[in-house]
Amino acid sequence: MSVVVPSLLKITFLLTIILGLVPVLIWVERKGSAFIQDRTGPNRASIAGIRLAGLVHPIADVLKLMFKEDFRPEGSHKFLYALAPFLVFFIALLTYAVIPFGDFIEIAGVQYNLIVADLDIGILYVLAIASLGTYGVVMGGWASNNKYAFLGALRSTSQMISYEICMGLAIMGIMMVFSSLRLSDIAAGQGDLIWGFLPKWGIVVQPIGAILFIVAVFAETNRNPFDLPEGESELVSGYHLEYSSLKFALFFMAEYCNMVIGAALITTLFFGGWNIPWLSRDVIVSNVGIVMPIQLGLQFLLATVIALLFFMRAKREKNKFGDNRDREPVFMGVIATLSAAGAVVALGATPWTLGPGAASIYATLLQVGAFVGKVVFFCWVFIWVRWTLPRFRYDQLMSLGWKVMLPLGLANLVVTAIWLALV
Amino acid sequence: MEAVLFYLFGALLLGGAIAAMTSRSAVAAVVWLIFAFVNAAGIYALLAAPVLAILQILIYAGAIMVLFLFVVMMLQGPTLKSELKSIGDRKWWLPVGAVLVALLNWMHGVSLEGFTNDAPAGFGEIKGVAELLLNKYMITFEMISLVLLVAIIGAVALASNKKGMPW
Repeated sequence: MSVVVPSLLKITFLLTIILGLVPVLIWVERKGSAFIQDRTGPNRASIAGIRLAGLVHPIADVLKLMFKEDFRPEGSHKFLYALAPFLVFFIALLTYAVIPFGDFIEIAGVQYNLIVADLDIGILYVLAIASLGTYGVVMGGWASNNKYAFLGALRSTSQMISYEICMGLAIMGIMMVFSSLRLSDIAAGQGDLIWGFLPKWGIVVQPIGAILFIVAVFAETNRNPFDLPEGESELVSGYHLEYSSLKFALFFMAEYCNMVIGAALITTLFFGGWNIPWLSRDVIVSNVGIVMPIQLGLQFLLATVIALLFFMRAKREKNKFGDNRDREPVFMGVIATLSAAGAVVALGATPWTLGPGAASIYATLLQVGAFVGKVVFFCWVFIWVRWTLPRFRYDQLMSLGWKVMLPLGLANLVVTAIWLALV
Repeated sequence: MEAVLFYLFGALLLGGAIAAMTSRSAVAAVVWLIFAFVNAAGIYALLAAPVLAILQILIYAGAIMVLFLFVVMMLQGPTLKSELKSIGDRKWWLPVGAVLVALLNWMHGVSLEGFTNDAPAGFGEIKGVAELLLNKYMITFEMISLVLLVAIIGAVALASNKKGMPW
């Protein structure tokens, strides 16, 4: 009992964050692409006139997909066709079990680790689940009985097999530096400082490994510039071409869930996990009277500046379109204002005087916040890259994977091993 | 709990294996085989061998079977008609099955001396496996990687479109 309830709570928390991030990411993708391409982006869906700057669109999407016909193409394999989207989504959610989203939380004197399954072999688990991720895509593409879908599935398989190797090599470097396969050990190890001032983050000790890993994650998630399995101009839309209704929605959601996993893995392995640089847990707990007002003050300042920028943008573009779209920046401005107001209210309530128990929970919240913040940042990087870079050609993709990244990964591994043996 | 999980994984493993043998589509057979491998990994995990369980998924279910699926799909193409005969058409499996069942029955009676002790602490963990692999069985381990290297060189030589060797 004492294990089951906290585990269920942790799983609920993670699922809420991930599945809650999916519609927000879809919104950010559309608005971000519009921002990058100097458009306004979708904003016509409304509930009784309320548009929330396009945030209503994901709801409209869900309704549309729910009421679409659940179509099955002729000659498709009945069972595998139905299984594929569920498999893709299921496997996309499995990886979160081993990702630490915080150090621990202390409630009533009991410490609970903020990780669902603190496996001894967490990294191998991640790689194993990633290697299973191919199947849903392959099965979906093959079972549709459509040559474009099939070609997409074949591309996806060969791409994922090729880049899995680079991913493994990049992870092995990190594994050697922190001499553990447990993701919570790796996250905790990144809280140390090198020479007393440099945070021992993965990207500092393994810069080449970090680059290789980020590129491999982009390839594994089938995101641009590696989205050849979908390649609209060549394959219509690749492996999920014949899917409609909620089955398509599952593929679509799995893509965003994979993006969040990718971001979480990059954060955990190379960007300090839940660590805040130069601010270890002990420092936060013992100096809560200094840290907390500074954090709230910074939040207030930052939120105010952001709110002002958005309000100014709204004023500047007052007559750009001549309709509701001109007022869109106000929405973001109001959110930033609410954040600033929250900081002021919290400052007024002086919660840092509540005692050591509250200070411990505050430190945990700050660390979980740091983790979620980094994950959201890397999700944005995924979107940013997608709307900035063009797609690879297929032979370029393969020669990058096998002729550039694989030798680099091996060289990185050898150099790391020699360096670790000497130091 | 352990017994329940063992019978669950065992039943799913057997079911997957039977489905792999009896399914008419070669692709479906491969998928069922993957399912059976994943359940075998579950049984390894119950036998205090988590590393073996993960490697089973990573290597067998993940890497090797992807290539199987790849080849079967390429050969069979996107059409789903299979030329495989149903297993029911063959009668020779009856005596073979009877012999297998007899063998299993005999093995059940044999006492496994030396194998009934509890595993020492940390036996199937990554550290225990690594210590065995990189100390006691180091030479064997390296020999196996040499064999794999030869296989890789052979594959490259076969795949290169130049006549003769790539070098």
